[in-house]
Amino acid sequence: MAGVLVKGRFPRRRLVQTVATNLFRHLFQSAARSWARNVGGTAPALGSMTLLLVMSGLVGLTGFALHNLEQIEASQASLLHVYLRDSATDVEIASLQNRLTSDPRVAGVTYVTKAEALQRAQRIPGLPQLADASESNPFPASLDVQVKNIQDVAAIDGSVRDDLAVDELYPTSYDRGAYQRIQAVLLGAAVAGIAFLGLLGFVAVMVTMNSIKIAVHARRDEITIMQLVGAPRWMVRGPFVVEGAITGALAGVIAGVITFALTLAGISSASGAFTQFAPGVTVTVAGVTAAAVVVVGLCLGSGSSLISLRRHMET
Amino acid sequence: MRPIIAGEVRPIVEFRAVSKVYESRRALDDVHLALAPGELAFLVGPSGAGKTTLLKLINREIRPTKGEVIVAGIAAHQLKASRVAELRRRVGVVFQDYKLLPRLTALENVAFGLQVGDLRIADKEALDRSLDALEAVGLGDRGDAFPHQLSGGQQQRVAVARAVVAQPALLIADEPTGNLDLETAWEIMDLFEDIAAWGTAVLVATHNVEIVTRLQRRVLTLVHGRLVRDQPAGQTGRMAWLASS
Repeated sequence: MAGVLVKGRFPRRRLVQTVATNLFRHLFQSAARSWARNVGGTAPALGSMTLLLVMSGLVGLTGFALHNLEQIEASQASLLHVYLRDSATDVEIASLQNRLTSDPRVAGVTYVTKAEALQRAQRIPGLPQLADASESNPFPASLDVQVKNIQDVAAIDGSVRDDLAVDELYPTSYDRGAYQRIQAVLLGAAVAGIAFLGLLGFVAVMVTMNSIKIAVHARRDEITIMQLVGAPRWMVRGPFVVEGAITGALAGVIAGVITFALTLAGISSASGAFTQFAPGVTVTVAGVTAAAVVVVGLCLGSGSSLISLRRHMET
Repeated sequence: MRPIIAGEVRPIVEFRAVSKVYESRRALDDVHLALAPGELAFLVGPSGAGKTTLLKLINREIRPTKGEVIVAGIAAHQLKASRVAELRRRVGVVFQDYKLLPRLTALENVAFGLQVGDLRIADKEALDRSLDALEAVGLGDRGDAFPHQLSGGQQQRVAVARAVVAQPALLIADEPTGNLDLETAWEIMDLFEDIAAWGTAVLVATHNVEIVTRLQRRVLTLVHGRLVRDQPAGQTGRMAWLASS
């Protein structure tokens, strides 16, 4: 009778399970224990990283709001109001409107009557008083020209100034250099924000590296033994990277909660003003920023550990 | 220097014209040697002769300045750092100061050495093999003891168990009896003889003249980094010169 080959049950699955169990124990469990043992030494790194991440979150949100503001400014700057003479005839106005509409650089032209201009002015803070002070309507009719590319606004302005329909004293709303000034201010703010974050990041990385150096020193015997019994390099270094990641993730969670709470408080306490000064910053955006802060913390913690290990651990 | 190899057996360790220079100091100078499987050899010489350097070259803790080091078929002299673990799994190491982890029991220390070297070994298998290794060194009943609860000799036995539990091709020991009294030192030497008898090559760096003289095993003598004597087993004599060096 032929023999029956008896195979072990799910040997590959068992092998995977064994490797996973050992990996978990030697990487994560030992890292968590070591982190808990050295929590005193980790506290400065945790604190500085939390501070950095809160600042990063807030600077990130500010950057996002400034970007939106810049977009709004850009769209407003590419809208050219061509003010019309009160005495301009319908034919002159129609002729100018047709010329502008057929210009390939122009996206659209809207005719705004004097009455509509007055209504619009009454919605702008400070202008209703001016409108009421005068018996007649002081606001001129206009052609609102939406220019496709902001760089073409000056050329369009030049082409309409001498038109018969256009007011001689205040021909257009074009303000040379206004948009460039806004851009310069935004660029300055961005550079200052990045430099500030860079400085804070440097401090956080240095402090974290130092705490990992202390951890490496405290576990020098264990590292030596692991290296001598043939533990692969990633396994010797892994627990320290996980330790750094724990510190970073914890700092990220704390910072994420603070960032979210501050933004939420801003939105709920001064909804109108907040929307004006920080356009686009909503609860969802605050949530995404908080999640990003956690991820950045995780990367910062494990990255700092890796750099520290390269410096302080011999092969 | 002619390498001494028993018959046609492929050596476990081979040094070919190996030199090691630390900045301006020459620690090893043109060393040739070969060690066969199952061979027990002593590495002797005065302090600073290059014994520890030679052991570190075997374990690829350092690279030679010149020459080739072959360990268990692996070219250690050109091994990349990322592949060092591969070599070390084939070499057991015993130190003078034992290097046991104080927060682990004797059994866990041995199992730790086994499992971090090979993640595929399950807990039960690791514990069974570690217990076997502890029994082989006469400490089967002290597996639950922590290092501080053991004597120096017992700690060194645990270290030996950890070094051989993965059945390495070679065991290297750097002054393993340096912290032990003579009686305990003999017990450790008995263990090394047993390990060699199982087929593992054993290389012991030592200052202990009495042990070297009485065991009548192969003796490699280093002086100022040069291998000045390679005496085969049974021909070591009284070695009075060693005591004087």
